[in-house]
Amino acid sequence: MSSFTYIAPMTVEETLSILHKQGPMARVAAGCTNIMPEIVSKKITEGVLVDISGLDELRGIDVVDNKITVGALTTINQLIHSEVIEHRATVLWQACRQFADPLVRNRATLCGNVAKASPAADGVVPLLALEATVNVESLRTGKRELPIEEFLMGPGKTALKPDELILSVSFQAAQELLGFFIKFGLRKAMAISLINIAVVFELTGKTITQPRIALGSVAPTALRARQTEAFLRGREITPEVLSQAAELVKGEISPIGDLRASGEYRLHLAGVLLRRAIEAAMA
Amino acid sequence: MEIKQEVVIRVKVNGSEVNATVSPEESLLEFLRDRVGSYDVKCGCKQGDCGTCTVVLAGQAVKSCLVLAAQADHKEIWTLKGLENDQLMQELQNSFAKHGAVQCGFCTPGMLVTAKSFLEDQPNPSRGQIKAALSGNLCRCTGYKKIVDAVSAVVVSRAGGCV
Amino acid sequence: METTVVGKRLPKFDAYSKAKGNIMYADDFSLPGMLYAKVLRSKYPAAKILAFNTERARSYPGVQAVLTSQDVPNNNLRAKFGQSTDVGANFEGLYRVLAEEKVRFMGEAIALVAADSEQIAEAALDLIDITYEPLPGVFDPVEALKEDAYCVGDNDSNLVSKFKIRKGDVDAAFEKADVIVENTYRVPCKDHSFIEPESGVAWIDENGVVTIRVSTQVIEHYRTVAEVLGVPHNHVRVIGTWVGGGFGGKEDISVESFLALLTWKTRRPVKLTYTREESFLAHSKRHPFIMKYKTGATKDGLLVALEAELIADAGAYTFLTPWVLLYATVNAAGPYNIPNVKVNTFAALTNNPFSSAYRGFGAVQPNFAYESQMDELARILNIDPLSIRLKNCLQQGDTLTTGADFGGYVAVSEVAEKAWQALGAKPAHKRKNIKIGRGLAIGMMSYGRLTFLHDTSRSYIKLELDGSVLIRCGIPDLGAGQAQALVQIAGEELGVPLEKIKIFIADTSLTPLAGTSTATRQLYMSGNATLKAAREVKARLISKAAALLNTEKTNLKLVEEKIVQISEPDKYLALSVVIGQCSADGDELYSEAQFNAPFTDVPISEVITGQTFADFTFGAYAVEVAVDEETGAVNLERVVACYDVGKAINPLNVEGQLEGGGVDSIGYALTEDFKVEQGYLKSHSFAEYLLPTALDVPDMETILVESGAGIGPYGAKGVGEPSCNAMAPAIINAIRDAVGVRITSLPATSEKVLWEILARN
Repeated sequence: MSSFTYIAPMTVEETLSILHKQGPMARVAAGCTNIMPEIVSKKITEGVLVDISGLDELRGIDVVDNKITVGALTTINQLIHSEVIEHRATVLWQACRQFADPLVRNRATLCGNVAKASPAADGVVPLLALEATVNVESLRTGKRELPIEEFLMGPGKTALKPDELILSVSFQAAQELLGFFIKFGLRKAMAISLINIAVVFELTGKTITQPRIALGSVAPTALRARQTEAFLRGREITPEVLSQAAELVKGEISPIGDLRASGEYRLHLAGVLLRRAIEAAMA
Repeated sequence: MEIKQEVVIRVKVNGSEVNATVSPEESLLEFLRDRVGSYDVKCGCKQGDCGTCTVVLAGQAVKSCLVLAAQADHKEIWTLKGLENDQLMQELQNSFAKHGAVQCGFCTPGMLVTAKSFLEDQPNPSRGQIKAALSGNLCRCTGYKKIVDAVSAVVVSRAGGCV
Repeated sequence: METTVVGKRLPKFDAYSKAKGNIMYADDFSLPGMLYAKVLRSKYPAAKILAFNTERARSYPGVQAVLTSQDVPNNNLRAKFGQSTDVGANFEGLYRVLAEEKVRFMGEAIALVAADSEQIAEAALDLIDITYEPLPGVFDPVEALKEDAYCVGDNDSNLVSKFKIRKGDVDAAFEKADVIVENTYRVPCKDHSFIEPESGVAWIDENGVVTIRVSTQVIEHYRTVAEVLGVPHNHVRVIGTWVGGGFGGKEDISVESFLALLTWKTRRPVKLTYTREESFLAHSKRHPFIMKYKTGATKDGLLVALEAELIADAGAYTFLTPWVLLYATVNAAGPYNIPNVKVNTFAALTNNPFSSAYRGFGAVQPNFAYESQMDELARILNIDPLSIRLKNCLQQGDTLTTGADFGGYVAVSEVAEKAWQALGAKPAHKRKNIKIGRGLAIGMMSYGRLTFLHDTSRSYIKLELDGSVLIRCGIPDLGAGQAQALVQIAGEELGVPLEKIKIFIADTSLTPLAGTSTATRQLYMSGNATLKAAREVKARLISKAAALLNTEKTNLKLVEEKIVQISEPDKYLALSVVIGQCSADGDELYSEAQFNAPFTDVPISEVITGQTFADFTFGAYAVEVAVDEETGAVNLERVVACYDVGKAINPLNVEGQLEGGGVDSIGYALTEDFKVEQGYLKSHSFAEYLLPTALDVPDMETILVESGAGIGPYGAKGVGEPSCNAMAPAIINAIRDAVGVRITSLPATSEKVLWEILARN
């Protein structure tokens, strides 16, 4: 039989002290779209449900000096309706519009998607491309700002300590950059990505600078394709360059096969989608 | 601030205040069906995959199986039955019947609540936008076309056109 | 024939109650003092049960009963499927309530618990100790048919059934054929995925009758339940609820026996509702088939021979497999006139989930194969998809491969032409990587049960003194408008507005038995029974009115609650006046009528000949797809359905059947694959088993042909199941047209399509 307890702190401070006391027994619950199916399917059967939905200080989207901060309680739907996200972090906005389904988007939070650390997470991939920082805090170690790449450690594994709370994610606004997100799933809504990709780059004439490429569902965590980025940096975008990049990206990912698709197919898609994402961003 | 074995909540369901003690992991769906007796809220999967249990919570359509009952404390919940006097809902209900959008009817409450909530935010959507709005609600009987027809007809009639 | 109510696009009366949330589905119903049941299910697909120990569970606080096979009065029965005729052991498998010494599939029921709450019942399941010894099992029907194969059941063979069709001489014909196409096709396991999981509540009424209120397509399972308990049939009553989707998945018995046993034991009301995962585990699946097809034609595209071998995976228990296989056998050659045909079909037990009824019932699997074959032939011979079908399809006066005649109009050419032509001119390819393709497929499927089942239906109509009408009919309503159709028929015949008609359905003790809501039979069977009852009542009213008005009976008609003289329409009697007179004179104001389908003998030979079905429905789908050559993704752009429905009693509901059946088959073609690996289920939720969403399907265009040629009321044919035919092959043929690859196994996932495209290059 399941045995859960419940507590609903009203401030971050209270939350941190609860997490400090409860450690690994604490299960932070915000939108609950991750935790409820886990309870029903008995993937988790005990713990202290720490309901942070009352922490108003973690709500909203702030912009300070071109830095966008998305609070832990900000839902996917709020991001879709944010002009800041639409125009200054388009790649994230595009991902949010393809996230799960409209009803789930009313509850699911971006930070919850980050915390779950699914290799296929549609919210995480654009954050990688935006070089986001995950802002966490605990009583023991205070505030830490972790680059999202360091935050993600494996499927369902993150650098978050049991006593730490995610406060927000933040990233530099990217309105002067080009970007595009593509999700490839087995159906058009309520789909787990077979693979997803986000690209963000600057174009000087026809030359690509600062390319950032992130892919999901191709490795134990969503990841940056650094070698491909290095190859593209400073190059003029031509069909040949794009097809070379498409080949290169396959060398730095290691997708596995599962019920949905084989690893080989994901490799193939990675190349195709990389080219398409860059082309679409430039269109 | 203490850790609770059970949670006392006060919510408004369809305009009536309900005081209840729920268990920590209890979903809003279980609370509505088992404690409030809101049998118009259907349960198809309990895992957020079908949308039959959709209700309006604090002004937004949500899958009630994905919400902790405890999180609804001090919030307003509207289910299909509570919206029976709502004009938009009545138009949708009649349109669903008239357009053959109801077959077995099990997904219907969730579809209707989703559709109403959507049309309130977006009174003049395209057919494609209606489909996208309903994409979190599974239907196995109708093939969706008549459901989309029914919602579209309400949009047209509200815009002053003929249905 | 002119009609006033029949043929109208009327909203179903139940649509309003459903839209208002007023319908009490099975799980919405509770009784005071009710217990909650849970089922312990096998963790292994094949294992010996060495020991049960239920002691810990029994002594757990709040547990009221724990039952195993030893507690079941009659645990092993010959499975009945609502039929009232004994069709012999070849057509009826074993129905075992709870597993005994051996489990045959993952999820097989082993023990039952009833407790004060669902949580307690669930906790008690964990306290039942079962010692298993895993057995090797067999998971492939071809392997299962080998001589030294692991035996799934208690017999020394896994063969469930085999049938043959023999017509002409295929070997000689293939010798002479100009072109031969040979392929092996595979179709996967498919789940019904009704949105309402199985559910019911049982109690013992004040007269000791075990009463079960349950979501089912077949209320006649009350007989099986009575036999399980060892009580007379009239000691069990099944009340069918409005069903939240069935599609064949609520045709076999589900929670009924479990509930009956627990309420019998505890003498308290008991509820059992499956979770979604349990629903996946517990109910049947559509049969996976492996189908070898060889089709020969002349260079002009005339079919000369067809040879087919079909192997069906029956899963762990027989259930409806022999019937499904018989459907597949009779439908194996499709709606084509082929002079030489040889068909061999086999079904084998395996340790996979059991296969049984699924909308389309053995007709859809071969349909995918023969329509793929036709398309391939057309391409080799450079004939367009419509022409090759028109050259070969069945026409009026032709016979089936079994030698049976078609009684009425054979609409195959008409529906094929209309569907194909509705697509109009083909658009250009969208972008360089997106290729547009079109596909056509036709199909046939019976409506009404196998004629050797001697199917009957009864319906009762009664006029109230105030002129309102009451219908009692034992039909379960699955949402297809089964009840509404009867109301429209009664309204048409009796000239009474529909709001003055009330229908009571699906109660084995109180409504006349109408048979199962399966086999696309209810409009045909119960529609005819209701029509007959209505006409009997009408005849009495007309007789009475003729006497009162002193005119001929033929000069009278019932319209708008009046009995009107046709010759002088201003002379009439109010219906209530005539009813009053009938009542005063002691004339019966009710009728219970029975409709009998054509009866044939149970087949005794493996070689199937003659009539097996009463009639067929013919239909076609024409589709347009856009295939992404770089990813293999298939987007369905357009779908046109054209079916001869005989007569659309309610066109809105008929379209609904085509749209719903069509989309179900879009899932079959593109996304749905119920994965089972070595007997272990890999699909546990709707996140893994992918039904199409509103975004995945185009708006289907439906064309209804109303030939009036059906044997249902007003010339109607059944369309619920036939609507599942032809969609999958039409899509696969369209993919072939777009990118030149032939997908031979469903579903056509983007990955599968891509690898074929790369192999083609």
